[in-house]
Amino acid sequence: MITLTLKEQPRVPLEAEAISPDVMAKLRHDEIRAVPMFLGKRQRRLDDFFEVEGEASEDLEIRGDVGKVKWIGRGMTRGRIRVAGNAGMHLGAYMKGGTIDVSGNAADWVGGEMSGGLIRIGGNAGGQVGAAYRGSLTGMQGGTILIEGSAGLEVGMRMKRGIIAVKGSVRDFPGLQMKGGTIILGGAELRTGAWMIRGTILSLRPIPLLPTFAYNCNYNPSFLRLYAKHLQIQGFSIPHEEGDGAYLLYSGDAAVSQKGEILIWQPRASS
Amino acid sequence: MLRITGGRVYDPANGIHGEVKDVCISDGRIVAEVEGTGVRTIDASGMVVFPGGVDVHTHVAGAALNFARAMTPENQREAVKFIHSPELRAGIGGITPTTFATGYLYAGLGYTTVNEAAVPILSARHTHEELRDTPIVDKSCCVLMANNELVLDLLEEGETERAKQVVAWLIWAAKGYGVKAVNPGGVAAWKWGKDAKILSEPVEGYSKVTPAKIIASLAAIVNDLQLPHPLHIHCNNLGAPGNISTTLETMKLLEGYRAHMAHLQFHAYGGDGWNSLRSEAATLAEYFNAHPNLTADAGAILFGNSVTITADGPWQHLLYQLTGHKWGNLDVENETGCGIVPYVYKGSNLVNAVQWAVGLELLLLINDPWRIFLTTDHPNGACFWRYPEIIHLLMDVDFRRERVRKLPAKALKRIVLGDLDREYTLSEIAVITSAGPARALGLSRKGHLGPGADADVAIYNENPDRELMFRYPRYVLKGGQVVVEEGAIRKVVDGREFIVHPSFDENIEEYLRPLFEQYYTMSFDNYPVEMHRVEGADIRECG
Amino acid sequence: MNRADFIIYWGGNPADCHPRHFTKYTLTPKGKHVPMGRKGRTMVLVDVRETPSVRAADIFLQVRPGKDFEVITTLRALVKNQPVDQARVAETGLTLAQLQDLVGRMKNARFGVIFFGMGLSMTRGKHMNSAAVLALVAELNAFTKFVCMPMRGHGNVTGADVVMRWTTGFPFGVNLCRGYPRFNPGEFSTVDLLVRGDNDAALILGADPGATMPQPAIDHLARIPTIVLDPKVTRTSRLARVHITTAAMGISAPGTVYRMDEIPLPLRPILQSPYPTDEVVIRRIHEQVKAKPAWLPASFKKVPCA
Ligand SMILES: [Zn+2]
Repeated sequence: MITLTLKEQPRVPLEAEAISPDVMAKLRHDEIRAVPMFLGKRQRRLDDFFEVEGEASEDLEIRGDVGKVKWIGRGMTRGRIRVAGNAGMHLGAYMKGGTIDVSGNAADWVGGEMSGGLIRIGGNAGGQVGAAYRGSLTGMQGGTILIEGSAGLEVGMRMKRGIIAVKGSVRDFPGLQMKGGTIILGGAELRTGAWMIRGTILSLRPIPLLPTFAYNCNYNPSFLRLYAKHLQIQGFSIPHEEGDGAYLLYSGDAAVSQKGEILIWQPRASS
Repeated sequence: MLRITGGRVYDPANGIHGEVKDVCISDGRIVAEVEGTGVRTIDASGMVVFPGGVDVHTHVAGAALNFARAMTPENQREAVKFIHSPELRAGIGGITPTTFATGYLYAGLGYTTVNEAAVPILSARHTHEELRDTPIVDKSCCVLMANNELVLDLLEEGETERAKQVVAWLIWAAKGYGVKAVNPGGVAAWKWGKDAKILSEPVEGYSKVTPAKIIASLAAIVNDLQLPHPLHIHCNNLGAPGNISTTLETMKLLEGYRAHMAHLQFHAYGGDGWNSLRSEAATLAEYFNAHPNLTADAGAILFGNSVTITADGPWQHLLYQLTGHKWGNLDVENETGCGIVPYVYKGSNLVNAVQWAVGLELLLLINDPWRIFLTTDHPNGACFWRYPEIIHLLMDVDFRRERVRKLPAKALKRIVLGDLDREYTLSEIAVITSAGPARALGLSRKGHLGPGADADVAIYNENPDRELMFRYPRYVLKGGQVVVEEGAIRKVVDGREFIVHPSFDENIEEYLRPLFEQYYTMSFDNYPVEMHRVEGADIRECG
Repeated sequence: MNRADFIIYWGGNPADCHPRHFTKYTLTPKGKHVPMGRKGRTMVLVDVRETPSVRAADIFLQVRPGKDFEVITTLRALVKNQPVDQARVAETGLTLAQLQDLVGRMKNARFGVIFFGMGLSMTRGKHMNSAAVLALVAELNAFTKFVCMPMRGHGNVTGADVVMRWTTGFPFGVNLCRGYPRFNPGEFSTVDLLVRGDNDAALILGADPGATMPQPAIDHLARIPTIVLDPKVTRTSRLARVHITTAAMGISAPGTVYRMDEIPLPLRPILQSPYPTDEVVIRRIHEQVKAKPAWLPASFKKVPCA
């Protein structure tokens, strides 16, 4: 295992895409210490900011508040990164495989355009979780993002495949221009599923809908059992028993398509 | 003073086809001989020496391209980056390069002169500002005229002489070099959501003006004004199946005039729908070969990403409906307009496969290289920095056949490319990339290496891999200065701009001024581009 | 406007903010193809409140604050004859009948135009509200000619946008720290940088963020070395470490201003100023910066990430 302990908070954001199992797996201790990072416009060394223990490993642990450290785990394909603290923007962006665990909060663009792997955030996440970068036609194309807390704007924007699950509530535009995949929400502010073409958004609490979504039926889809089982292992429970209630199925967004689905959980009245 | 020695020189304009000889340079020009001390020598043994490339039709600056940049951040993210250094400005290459990167990329390819082919007069000031920020290469502009209502209104009233005066005044106002006609009448009609598909039918909003009349009148006006570059025409019905008939009709209208046909590839299709689209390159080439009044550029496409940008709004809207992605449209008051659509040409797509073949077929079937030039209508068909791929296809018939075999089987029945044996020689490549376009543009100091020419020289390592050879010149000289060495920019020099000053009757301003007050949102006095905004202006008086 | 016979102003109050817009460009002039001038055009105003512009409008649609995106998305569906939920439409403050009427008028226009103001682009939904207008207009072109244009704020915002595009490839929100331009609004846009405290210096030119930005952004500007170039004393110049007085653009300094439709206009100075122009000051600063050693190491050639 390689342990990186933050020495002091950088004053401006530190760009550290080299903090990735793919980069570190074959490096000796002194090579890890010399890996380049970018503090604002200055090129610096990893050991300017971190105490380093260990070498040549796919298992990285980062200790300290790296909330201003960007691009951790960028494009990683294997191994594991654990962050004991907060993580900065673009955590696991373009990720293809492996696991990232953050105990605290994560900033914007968690798993931006990722195509595989697993990201777990113990606290809250910022906006654009699993989203497409500006101008790109496709966001997340595979993998799983699990968030214990809440998340910001445009969660899953233009995503095509994969799962995003947020226990808490998210801000506006979850599933914006979504093309496929599944988003599970503990609630949302406005404009859920705006301009979605395909894909499924599931909310465990009532949410406001755009006028361009039409009520279809009450529904307890069988695929949910699979999801529920899969997510239960990660500590996420999704109600799916007919005895407990049903999902109200809405389809849209009629501004662009009728093939997107929003499912809103309605517990059976207790009386 | 400089002497390039030991290289095989290709200077077809001066009848030199690969002889080993020295090229001498003094004060930025080619000279017969340099003597004395202080002569630097470049040893070009094992290399070939070309005149610097000249791009007759490209889109590198101005409102439309700049709009496309904003529309496609995803392309910029993937593009080649130019890292800031004491010598170089930061920039982005790719499909719609930033201005500084455009200069570096063209020079890096051995090109030293480019003609920006579509400049709206109203925003010409913007185009010149961008060209000033496009280093190394020399530049010229063709201004858009065939949908300008000031001109069209005069043609409607039969006032040909006054129309000529207005055209001359407009060219000077825009600080342009040539006149471009894009989809004559069609862009004006597009402002009503219409197009002009039939050359003999009146344009929407007019009773007498037809596309045919616009084409013939502008060709005559450009002729009368004695502009160095003839009318530069983008025919009606660009990209449409069966447009060969429109293209032939346009060329017939031009009999008796010199004219340059832009991006012919997009105008050489048969069939009556996308499913029956086929190449009519052979038909087009047969007519073209028999009519020496015409020159053309290929407008070839290559498979991959592009952004299509043209003043041809109707075509662009159609393309948007076909692709369903992003679409930008700009209308430029009473003058012109443009549409912008990101597009991916796919080898597996029947239509794209035919388009790919047509561009190469035209280059191979038009037998006089002095009349057909290498372009991709950058960035419409492909980016200019991909020209070496086309050179490879033209010079190597086996490589070309191998590529043809990869096309969808259905496409093979719609093209003739597989049957063509012709291989370009290095001399012919020097013609289609430099000597020919320079002559068509009327730039007497470009495109050759005779005494008096600008010392713009591209030196390539001789290499059987023609793509590699032309992609990374060993040296590039601009105005006698070594700007590129081993594929990297060594020195950044400023480029010049060629502009023409056609003679016109000053009284035409008295006619125009009230029209401006009435119909334009810009004051008459603000309209002409001030001379001080044009960097390194090289003015040619005409007529 | 020589053609438009149907004009929508959305989220703007041109009568107050862009007074010349009605009289010079859009509404009253007798256009080349709209010879009747005002009588030949229909004007629709969409806004959250009644403003002086309402008097100039033929139709006023009062939308509830923060519901613009809902309304435009509904219009996109109606343009394509898709069903919408009547009750949820009503929550926007407009009825389904009103929106159907608007769609009918839009489709029947000969040449339509939507001007959208900061009441749309700077309220909840922000860039998505602008994107919604663009999408609606693009789709309307399947039926008739329709265009749109943003009504920008004061100053030469459009000019900055245009020049950024040709020099960096991106209109705003650009970062050059890695030696080449990167774009990510939200990450690199000024207000977000300042609110997060991600920058350790600021050079401010032709703007007064101290008067318009949220308090945390202003606090950060006061904390870091801030340099302001401005002809006048402003809120920002007061909190800055350095204020360099410059000649006023267009009054005593020449230049170019880009109109909202990106048409460049020359500025010709009418007065002499004892102060240098912004350009002169920036050039002097740049000369000094250039004299310092290169900030990227010579070994820094490869681009590790986009
Ligand atoms: Zn072109």
